[in-house]
Amino acid sequence: MVSRYEVLILTVPEITADESKNIETQFDRVIKEAKGSIISFEKWGKYKLAYPIRKNDYGIYFLARFEVNTAAVEEVRSLLALKFYELIMRHAIVLLDPKKSLAYQKPLSLEDAPARDVNTFLKENRMEGLMSSNASVGAAEDYEEDLA
Amino acid sequence: MTKKVKLKISARLVKKRSRRYGFAGSRNCRFCTNAEQLALIDFKNVPFLKGFMTERGKILPARISGNCCLHQRALAKEIKSARVMALLPYTAAQY
Repeated sequence: MVSRYEVLILTVPEITADESKNIETQFDRVIKEAKGSIISFEKWGKYKLAYPIRKNDYGIYFLARFEVNTAAVEEVRSLLALKFYELIMRHAIVLLDPKKSLAYQKPLSLEDAPARDVNTFLKENRMEGLMSSNASVGAAEDYEEDLA
Repeated sequence: MTKKVKLKISARLVKKRSRRYGFAGSRNCRFCTNAEQLALIDFKNVPFLKGFMTERGKILPARISGNCCLHQRALAKEIKSARVMALLPYTAAQY
């Protein structure tokens, strides 16, 4: 019986383009052998993890969606867990409802998040005087003026 | 005409009685009333799920978030899946 699944894969941050291409081709091969079809294979990008995994603070996420018969999911799992053990830190296979839409929301990756440097941070928090070289006395006076 | 006698009720007793009836007007579950919100319960949808967690990383109880028990269970399941995939923390970061 053919069902729709999605896999969220978390890999080490040092993964090269070749290695990720290799994962994708192996994945394609397993799905084709099981006479299924791949709906999508996306790279989300580099993220800061909520807690360190295998001593890595960052990781790269991939999301793959495919339709395959239920017996072949075990093949996919063994591919991700055993064959690519060095590269793939976590994976989660989820059953999807074929009637529901394929849209989903994903968190902001490190590349997408707006880059903030020191000056924008200071401006946002109105601390402009504090980081300059001759700050010491002047900053205290400004602060008291703001309070008054 | 008998005179109505007002019995003295202590403040402690008044408070005890009012506590029994709890908060007036139960909140409605936002997922029961709105089907689009139901589609947002997904372990990948981190900004949405973060609204149901405390700063320490704990899942908010249903009596605070107002969810019915069916949707609270679905929500908790997705939060726990997201924790496994390191999209959400188990506990507040010490750093």
